[in-house]
Formats: sequence, C-alpha cells, structure tokens
Amino acid sequence: MKRLAAVAALLGLAAVTACSGNTGDKSAAGGAGGGGGLYTTIDGNKPGLDVNGPFNPWSPKGNAFAGYNVMKLAWTKNHLTDPNQFYPGIAASWEIAPDNSSITLHLQPNNKWSDGKPVTAEDVKFSIALAYTQGSTAFAITPGAAGAASEVEVVDDKTVKITQDMENPSVTFVRGVMDSAVVPKHVWESVLPADFWDKLKAARGEGADADKAREEITALAEKVLAFAPPKDVSAGPYTLERMNPGEALLVKNKNFYNAANVGPDQVKLLNYTGNEQIWNYLIAGKLDSAPFTAVPTDVMKRISATPGNGVVKGFSPVALGLAFNQSKKPYDNVHVRRGLAYLINRDEITKIASPEGGTPAVTTTGIHQKPAADWLGDELGKLEPYKLDVAKAEEEFKEAGLKKEGGKWTLPDGKPWKFTINVPAPFSDWVSGAKAITSQLNAAGIDAEVLSVADYPIYLEELAAGKYDVGFWLIALGPAPYNIFQRLYGASNGWSVLGGKVKHAEPGKNGNWMGGPETIEVDGEKINPGELTAKLNSVSGDEQKAIVGKLAKAANQDLPVVQLWDYVNTQFVNTNRFTGFPENESDLLRQPAGVWIQLGMVKKKQ
Amino acid sequence: MTVLIRRLAGHLARGLVMILVVTTVSFFVIRSVPGDPMAAKYEKLVEQGMSPEAAQRAVEVLYGFAPSGGLWQQYVDYMTGLLRLDLGQSLTVPGVGVSTVLFSAAKWTILPVLAGTLLSFLVGVVLGVYAAIRRSGKLGDALAISGSLLHGVPQYVLALLLMAVFTTLIPILPAGGTADIMYEPGLNAGYIGSLIQYATLPVLTYALASYGGWILAMKSSVVTVLGDDFILAAELRGMKRGIVFRYIARNAILPLFTILALSLGMLFGGAIFIERIFNYPGLGLMLIDSITNRDYALMGGAFLLITGAIIVANIVADLFYTVIDPRVRSGEGAP
Repeated sequence: MKRLAAVAALLGLAAVTACSGNTGDKSAAGGAGGGGGLYTTIDGNKPGLDVNGPFNPWSPKGNAFAGYNVMKLAWTKNHLTDPNQFYPGIAASWEIAPDNSSITLHLQPNNKWSDGKPVTAEDVKFSIALAYTQGSTAFAITPGAAGAASEVEVVDDKTVKITQDMENPSVTFVRGVMDSAVVPKHVWESVLPADFWDKLKAARGEGADADKAREEITALAEKVLAFAPPKDVSAGPYTLERMNPGEALLVKNKNFYNAANVGPDQVKLLNYTGNEQIWNYLIAGKLDSAPFTAVPTDVMKRISATPGNGVVKGFSPVALGLAFNQSKKPYDNVHVRRGLAYLINRDEITKIASPEGGTPAVTTTGIHQKPAADWLGDELGKLEPYKLDVAKAEEEFKEAGLKKEGGKWTLPDGKPWKFTINVPAPFSDWVSGAKAITSQLNAAGIDAEVLSVADYPIYLEELAAGKYDVGFWLIALGPAPYNIFQRLYGASNGWSVLGGKVKHAEPGKNGNWMGGPETIEVDGEKINPGELTAKLNSVSGDEQKAIVGKLAKAANQDLPVVQLWDYVNTQFVNTNRFTGFPENESDLLRQPAGVWIQLGMVKKKQ
Repeated sequence: MTVLIRRLAGHLARGLVMILVVTTVSFFVIRSVPGDPMAAKYEKLVEQGMSPEAAQRAVEVLYGFAPSGGLWQQYVDYMTGLLRLDLGQSLTVPGVGVSTVLFSAAKWTILPVLAGTLLSFLVGVVLGVYAAIRRSGKLGDALAISGSLLHGVPQYVLALLLMAVFTTLIPILPAGGTADIMYEPGLNAGYIGSLIQYATLPVLTYALASYGGWILAMKSSVVTVLGDDFILAAELRGMKRGIVFRYIARNAILPLFTILALSLGMLFGGAIFIERIFNYPGLGLMLIDSITNRDYALMGGAFLLITGAIIVANIVADLFYTVIDPRVRSGEGAP
C-alpha cells in the first residue's frame, strides 16, 4: 500500500511538473515561433473559432480570417466622412472615374497564392461572381439595387475594370467593390456553373427568364457558403497551419507580395466567447493586441498594471441612442422627448456605463461627434445641446400637457406616467446606462424602471414588434452618411427603398417601430427625412453636405432618439514582444491586426 | 439471462418511446423560443459598416439554410431525417451537419466531465467510508464538513475561484482553451501534457463540485450499513478488519453506483458555467451558441443527445444493479 502511495505521489509530481513546464510563454521567447516571433491576438470579427468551419470567407464561422489568410481587394480606412478611402490589398492601386461610374483595379504585380500560382484578374472576376451569390453591396442581383456593378471586365492579367449601373448609382459603389474577398479560382472553380456570367446577364433583365436566372443565382448561395476547400490556399500574409477549438495557428505565406516586410512568423488567434475571457488574457499579458472590448474601470486598472499593456484609442462610428416609440403616448409629443433630453445627464450616464469605451454625446444629431464636426462645421454649435436643465425639462413637460402632482409627473389625463426602458440583459453597458437614466428620472419625479430581456434576438424582435415604449438603439453607423441616417430615418422609422423608390409604412407595419411622422418641419421647411436619407446614397459633395445638415437639424429638433454617448474604439496592445502598432486616432484601428502586419507595420521587438 | 434480456428489451422499448416524446416536445418548444436571430445578424453587419440593403441580402442568404415550410411539414421532415440518422444542417456553420458539430463538441465535454466525475467519486467514496467509521473523531468531522461546504458552493463560484488562484495569483495554468496550438496534435508528450494542462482547471472544478455529494452520500450509506446485523455478526465471529471493511464498502456503495451511472448520463448535458468560464468548447458552450443563434437543428440535436444519454444511463444503471446486487438477481425466478 505504501509503495502504491509512493508511486502515485511520484506520478502526480511528474504530471504537475509537466504541466508547469508547458506554461512557459513561448510567444515571448519567440523560440517556438521562429525568427519573427509569434503574435498572439483575437479576431474580433470571428468570435468562436470552429474547427468544423471551412476555409471560406463567406462562411460566418469559416476558418478564414480577414487580414491574415483572407485578402480583400483593399482595406477601408477608418475615415470620418469619406467611405471611399483605402489601403492596398489584392489591388495595389486603382483609378475611380470622376462620375463614380467605374473603378479600374491594378493588382499587386508580384502576388502569388500560397500554392505558388499567381493571383490574376481572373481570380478577381471569379470572386466577384461568388460575391453576386451572396448579395454584397456592389454585387447585387436585386432589381434596382443601388450601387450595383453592371459589368466586370478583365482588361489584362493584372487589371480589372468594374462598371457601376448608373440607373441607380451609389456613392458607396467603390467601397462595395473594394470590400470584396478574393479567393483562388483554381480551387473554387467547381462551385459555379460555366455559364454563370450568362445567367447574371439574364438576371439583370425583366420577365420570367430574368426571374428564373435570379432564382438560379440565389440557389448557388448555399453551395458557395458551404464550400470547403480541401486546404487553405491564401494570398494573404499567412495560411492556416492548424487549429483546435481554442486556438488557430497561422504561418507566414512566403508567396505574399509583401512577405519581406511581414514581421511575425506566426500568428496565434485565440477563441473567445465572452469579454471576460479577453480581460483574463490581457491581465495575463498573453495578447499582443486585442479588439475593442467593453471594460469596467476596475478591470481596466488591472489590465493597465500588466507590464507592456497599453491602450490605443480611435474613432468608432457608432453611438447609442435612447429611442422612442412615437406611436405610444406620451412619446408622440416632441415636448416630452425634449423634456427627457434635458433631464438626462449624459456625462454621468457615460461615466457609469461606458467610462473607457464612450464619450458623452455633445448633442443629438444622429452623427458621431467627430464626423459631426466635419459634416456640420459651425452649424454644430448652433444646435440645441440639451444640457442638463431641470427647469427647461419642466417647461417642456408642461407644454406637452403633463402634470406634476405630489412630486410625480402624470399624463395629461391624470393617469400615472410609467417610463420603462427595455434593454438586452447581456449588454452590461446598456443595462448600467438604463439604470443610471432611471435613477436620474426618478429623482426628477418620473416613475422610471428598467426591464431587461434574455438576449439580443428577443430584444430586437420585441422592439420591432412595437412592444417597447423606449429602448436603446445603435445609431450613427458611418462613415457613409446614407448608412448613418438610415438608423433614424430608415426601415425602423417606416422608410424603405424598393426598386430605387422610397416608400413609407404606417407605424406598426413593416418594421416601423419608431412611428415618427412622415414629414417634419425644420426651420419652417417641411421635409421628408426618409426621402432625404435615401438621396444621400446617390449625391455627393455640397449637395450631400446640405442634406446631412438638414437631417442633423431634424434629428436635433424632433429627437426620434436622445443621443447618449458616442463609442470610442478602445483597443489594447502589448509592447513587450512587438512594436509598430497604430497610434491613437489611426485610420487603421477598425482593421484587424493582420492588416497592420501585412502593411509592414508590426515588427518583433529587438 | 432470459430475464435480463427481457428486461433490456423492455427498457429499450420504453427508451425509444421516451426519445420520440422528448424529440417531439423539444421540436415544438425550440421553435417557439422567442427572438429574431436574423435581426441580430443584420445589426451586426450594419455595425461593421455594411449598407442596410446589403446586410439584409446577406442575412437572407445566411438563413437560407433554415428549414422552410409549415411547422408540421418541418416536423415530418425532421422525424424522417432522424430515421436516416440525419439531424439536419447547422445554421451556425452553414453546410456542416449537426452530427459533426455535436460530436466535435462532445469530446471536449465527455473527457473532462468523466475524469472529474470519476475522480470525485473515487476520492469521495474512500473518504466517505473513512468519515463514517471515524465519525466521532476530528478528521471524520472535518471530512464531513468539507463535503457539506463544497456541496453547497455553486459550480461557477468554484470555477471563478480556481481561475483567480491558478491563472492570476499563481499563474501556472492557462485561463482557457483545450491545448496549446504550438504542439502538433497526436500521441506526443508535448501535446498530451498540454491537453492535461488545459483540462486541469475544468476537471478540478467538476471534481470539487461533485466531491461533496459523494462523500456525504457514502458516509450516510456506510453509517446505515454499520448498524446492520451482518456486520455485527462478522465482528463477533472475529473476522479480520479488512474483510469486515470490504463487507461494509460493498454494501454501502450499491446506491452510489446508481447515482454514478445517472451522473455519467448527465455528462452530455455539459456544464455550461464551467465551460463558459474556462472557454472550454464542449456541449454546454455549443448549446449556448446554438440558442443565441436560434440554430434550431443544432439545439434539437443537442437535446436529443442529452436525452438519449440519460435514457441509456438509466438502462445501464438498472442492468448494472441487477448484475451486482444478488437481492435483485434473486428475482430472476419470479413470474
């Protein structure tokens, strides 16, 4: 028995020693990672690595990681107002026609796939064909889709020209083209029928044949999504070596056009299913960089205390609005909405709910405050800031007919006013923000409460069904101004674009849960904000700026939402092993680290 | 033997009926879960900068894999598929069969939960016997108290505690994952060591969380057996202490085997909190993921697997009991 115990003790000791031996940080040493070191990060676009996923950029869980083993034609810059600025990708350079009717792409001259075959214009054209099956922005078969390409022409082996259908043009056509993934034709060829381009031509027409062709192309979507190439053939800086459910290992692609400037020899992507896992990795100093993550103040302190950890902040074209269902009383009255805007202390709310990832909104414009300054110029300062002002709030409420009895506000008919904010429970910053708002409103005599629902899909379903009076709603999703104002004057408020024509649905119908009026008066002029928003898709320059000004003013006066805070793209880097990370406000901060690496920025620390 | 086979046949018939009922109920319950996953996906795409129209088209393509037609038609299709052992296609990973996703996740649940359960069973049973025999001593009391304490602490609290101690205060174990990707998978020391290293915290949590139950159950069972006449008779006959101990253990452990068999059936249910905290990609995490994405086929497959495992475990427990307990066996001749 004693001997058995001794053997067991020795085995246990050996196991513990083996385990401890494996915990050495190989990435820091760089030994296991080779000369350029091992870069460890998390792909924020693909939470939840899946070993069953294919090497397929269109698959939501594919083992294809943009910037690493997936290349796009170009990488969009995080510009405040211009959605059509890019860093090179598969395309080395490009020429855009002055009227935005076409773009000519010149591919990287020395780029090869990881299997040694050259990346050609035919690969690009074939990838565009695949994109048509997925209904991307520029490659849509829906009749009347704005900004769709009408022709794809291979000019020569390294040049492709893509022409926009000018019957319904969009200023974001170029962005739609550039944001396309490129895959090797010789690997994917079997997915599409040989007569695909004929089908596409037929699909652009009208009548039964066109309908049939569109159906056939749509039917290909599933085949494309499910296609699993036998091995990873990449034109990016890395190829996938292997993966398990927790980690993926990518190794340098020596055929990549800029391989000589790619720093890390290997990249390790870690799986995550919740923010707290990213926090743990950051506190342990394991990550060389991490994507934007909501972080509470105490966790932030611990992350900052880890040697080498640092924070890089930049523009994030997202803001949070407190949105009203205007088909419900008393939120149909603009004075009630304005009164609430005066009562909410946005500085305090932001400090409580999103201290690291948000900055209090300067006012409500529907636009993030950074691009708002560019779009609106001096006009921004002239808009009503809705600073905390209890007296003004009371004036507005009285104007709306609300009454204050025994310190509590009631509806005009004397019935109690119950203010309920609905939030999805997993969004901790929204829950904190909602609680802070109700606390402020209760102090001002409004009977306010927070109701949370189990998850985001339920929240969105109930919101769209018009079940909520007030809820949180992401707005300002730029940089394209059309996308920005779609959040206020799009489908959620009754407007939709069908076949190039703008239509408005009654409140409660076709997803119109905001229930705002179809026209509103701004500075004495009656405007239809939905029509103006749709127009933003096709106009540019001064005309676009003038519309943005009108819509911002409309949002400021009519308050379909109260803009609470504007998000800040807060990312983490660790400079212990690598250097060359983007600086604060860099226009690369919305791109994955793979793009920083492929552009030759990130280098192993000497 | 005939009785055993008859018994097995009866169990299997009942099991099949139960599976049919559970599958039918879960099919309709799953499809009545509220929520709009398409809207959630759409929101994510527009947040990433996609235009509303393009996001709408992309979502329609992604959810093109979802079964269409009326609910009854979907039910008939689903059950017909089940007869062919086809659980359908996952929406989360388009084009991949539900069974592939399930089995991929199952191994990361079964091995650690099995290891944790067996470890806690062995330790709990041995210490439970000791705690019962020495129930008037300090060590016996201490063991019983440790069991009560650990039995009362929720799994996720234990997991967070272990995580804080071994990944932050004394950072000797990884915070998440299954194995270090730098090791080539296979039968090599580095990879196996890495597997053990990554599984240590989940296994330890499973073991600690269930240890309390085993020790308390075993102690209680032993105390009951200690009062039985045959133990007194054995002691009066001057039998060796070891033999008496064996008598005690064999009789006291019988009810625990049933619980063990049922626990093993629950293996497939995963441990959602533990897998979430340690980012261990087993069935629990997969189930959460499938619910978030309203991946009906995957949810249905997971529930079917869990139900099937519990039914099988019940059958095995019953048959096992028949084999190891002579009192049950003696009923063989009964009509």
